[in-house]
Amino acid sequence: MMKKDFWHNSKVVVIGSGSWGTVLANLVARNSVETRLWSRDEEQVRAMNATRVNAKYLPNTPLHERIQVVHSLDRLFEGGVRVVIWALPSSACREQAKQFARYLTGDEIVIHATKGVEPVTLKRVSEILKEELPCARIGVISGPNLAQEVARGDPSAAVVASRFDEVIECGQVLFTNDNFRVYGSYDVIGVEWAGALKNVLAIASGALESLGLGWNAKALLITRGLVELARFGMAMGGKEPTFLGLAGLGDLLATSNSTLSRNYRVGMAIAKGEKLPDILSRLGGTAEGVKTATTVREFAVARGIPMPITEGVYQLLQGNVQVGEAIRVLMTRPLKSEWST
Amino acid sequence: MPPEKQLPMPMEPELRDRGIFRLNAVRPNLIDDVVARTTAEFAGKPAENQLSETLYLERRRLRNFHPTVFTKGRKDRDLRLYNDLQKGLLRSPGEADRGAMLERVTRHFAEEIGGHFDPAIYRIASHAVPWGFNWLLNAASVRRFLPWGLTESLESRINVHGEIDSLRALSRRGTILLVPTHQSNIDSVLIGYIIYLLGLPPFAYGAGLNLYSNPVLNFFMSNLGAYTVDRAKTNEIYKSTLKNYSIALLQEGIHSIFFPGGGRSRSGAVESKLKLGLLGTGLQAQIQGYQAGKPNPNVYVVPMVMSYHFVLEAASLIEAYLAESGGHRFILAGDESWQVSKVARFFWKFFSSQAGLHVSIGRPLDVFGNFVDEEGRSIGPNGTLIDPKRWLMTRGELCADEQRDREYTRELGRKIVDRFHRENVVLTSHAVAFAFFEMIRQKYPDFDLYRILRLSHAQRSRPTDDFLSYAEGLRQRLIDAEKRGDLKLSDELRSGSGAMSGPSPLPAWIADGMAQLGLLHESPVLEVSEDIISAVDMNLLYYYRNRLSGYGLSILAETGGPRKSPGEHDEKGFLA
Repeated sequence: MMKKDFWHNSKVVVIGSGSWGTVLANLVARNSVETRLWSRDEEQVRAMNATRVNAKYLPNTPLHERIQVVHSLDRLFEGGVRVVIWALPSSACREQAKQFARYLTGDEIVIHATKGVEPVTLKRVSEILKEELPCARIGVISGPNLAQEVARGDPSAAVVASRFDEVIECGQVLFTNDNFRVYGSYDVIGVEWAGALKNVLAIASGALESLGLGWNAKALLITRGLVELARFGMAMGGKEPTFLGLAGLGDLLATSNSTLSRNYRVGMAIAKGEKLPDILSRLGGTAEGVKTATTVREFAVARGIPMPITEGVYQLLQGNVQVGEAIRVLMTRPLKSEWST
Repeated sequence: MPPEKQLPMPMEPELRDRGIFRLNAVRPNLIDDVVARTTAEFAGKPAENQLSETLYLERRRLRNFHPTVFTKGRKDRDLRLYNDLQKGLLRSPGEADRGAMLERVTRHFAEEIGGHFDPAIYRIASHAVPWGFNWLLNAASVRRFLPWGLTESLESRINVHGEIDSLRALSRRGTILLVPTHQSNIDSVLIGYIIYLLGLPPFAYGAGLNLYSNPVLNFFMSNLGAYTVDRAKTNEIYKSTLKNYSIALLQEGIHSIFFPGGGRSRSGAVESKLKLGLLGTGLQAQIQGYQAGKPNPNVYVVPMVMSYHFVLEAASLIEAYLAESGGHRFILAGDESWQVSKVARFFWKFFSSQAGLHVSIGRPLDVFGNFVDEEGRSIGPNGTLIDPKRWLMTRGELCADEQRDREYTRELGRKIVDRFHRENVVLTSHAVAFAFFEMIRQKYPDFDLYRILRLSHAQRSRPTDDFLSYAEGLRQRLIDAEKRGDLKLSDELRSGSGAMSGPSPLPAWIADGMAQLGLLHESPVLEVSEDIISAVDMNLLYYYRNRLSGYGLSILAETGGPRKSPGEHDEKGFLA
């Protein structure tokens, strides 16, 4: 009980006020004395404090009363913060972390919720944070968590992965409530790669959807996509069971079937022949899968890892092929054993 | 490489009344402290189980222990203790206090582990050993007809480079934990000598019990701060006592040496798997130092890599490695004894040849694996300053935490492995061995390691011209690797020159490498005849080649994709 109380009595900051950051802040606020939500947009901060709602990303969910929305970093870290929840898009991670570094002292727990990797270096978000922040105890939260559904209070679960027990404990205490369960894991690499790779498959899934294909096609995509995801993730050092867990299969199922997923919507739009820049400009948020597809595809080609679905998504996003052609290529690959690597 | 320092460097006088020089004075307290901490660790657990397990394991060990005149007393003392222990365990806890029994066993172990330090003996040794080495050097060099009056100094043959200034500066700010690579039994003698050359006080060192059976070594080690490690004692009480002794030394500000790879590298490769148990004592010493409010509780971990052209025990080490990875149990027959004749032979060979050896002092790390600057501050990857105290706060309190600390130590181990590889100085002989072995391997890509090692003489011969172009290609890749900071090259290898180049048609560095490669062994490793180069001893070739494994330099391993990336999923066992 003592241990739990420590986290309940800790000040928590949530960095990033997109839809998932706002939902996480709402979850945490129920379990901690003080939660501060940071946004880089001063205008948005004013509006959120006035209306107590995130009009841009989560218009139907009121902010919890214990959330303060702030913009000033001095204010954000005032009076000893113990826990940092990191919910920024992967492209902003390194640059923002450099900015936050001097406000942290080193004993904070950092849990990030970003599902992407750094282009070219292929560094995972926890690696970027480890390099830029003075903190050691870093973890990741991931799983089948469509922000709007969690906000509504539908039953959901996530996994918090860290090499440190105290990070897992902190995440479990702060996020858990009657409608949200948190599992622990030591496989940080697996959880982060699963989270990044499933976004690519969500694009493919959206593309299939727009053709009006049935469940057989969707099931084929998800199962073979999972094989591809696990193959790559394990080559990067992830553990097999992770890919069958919440952060792997779980997240894949959720994002491959829901128009709430931005990556899925990108896939749908591109299959209808729209151009990628147009789609992204009116998406309202980041579709991590677009960048991840390019990054992963380049690496897989260089290292000789077969990733046919990712290749198809990449060509589709580049506008090199139509969906029909991409499917034909995938369906006419040489026949092989289901178990072969 | 930066210009070498003038060696030996002087030791500052005030260091002579600190750290290890006070070991004898603090020893009784230190042992008490170790006993108290160890018994406290077992306080929560039923002492009965620990004691009976220890009794069982120790009786089994003593059955297989055959004492010499020097170790007989030790065995008799052990037997007395265990007879009493057995009698005690047969009586009820009311009649024989388990706590007292635990304390007696712990004290017995602590006394056996604990070392001594006699400044007078240190003074004698620090004069006699360098003098002896220099005498031997010049006696051995006579064959090369040095002009009259010109003598060689040993320091000119030992190339020490790297973070010497940081090491010296940090040794005054906190406690040094020196973590060297380990290839040969010669290592500990050389490290001791190098520490003297750098003007540092002697370091404590956990020496295997077997070394104490040699009366001369026993005398010096027992009086120069070495402590005793008995790897045959596998019981938990002993292991815990040993760790606590190491913690106590570090906390006392006594610099220490651990070989983090455990024993010598059997494959010849730079260590890539470390034993983390003792390594973690640095972190615990620092935590306990903070808790006790000590002024300089910081422990600095300094990696050190030694590069040899030849390793005395190469043949038996590689044989043991192959037997082990081949799935057989294999015990090194008679190898563990320290044969004075062998050591003398090594030094004679070393001094009479023109071979040098390289010692890299690596960048100092903190107990988490962060770099440390000369002021002892921890620096994060992108230059952020890190406060070690903050990393030790858990739930708002500076404390030890088993799981957290294990993870910190794992990270430290990972960093040490990385530094070992980067600080490793590749010598001409390593490059020659690697090039030739890889060339043969490429010719037989479907053969596994064991079949490669059993190739016929004709199969393990290659045209000299082919070899030269292959080796030169490797040298260029090594130069690129050095620019990336993956490893270091000796001057000969980088510039393509060589000390041993005589009248030879071969490029200087290759001639140097071929001449140095396994210089010490009965027969050469490679031989040249006409236009053909052949491997004489494939096992030794493999051993010296392995110094370059784990760098992703092997073409076969690299083209296989991540499943065969260096050190991972290497089915054929090419990468040690």
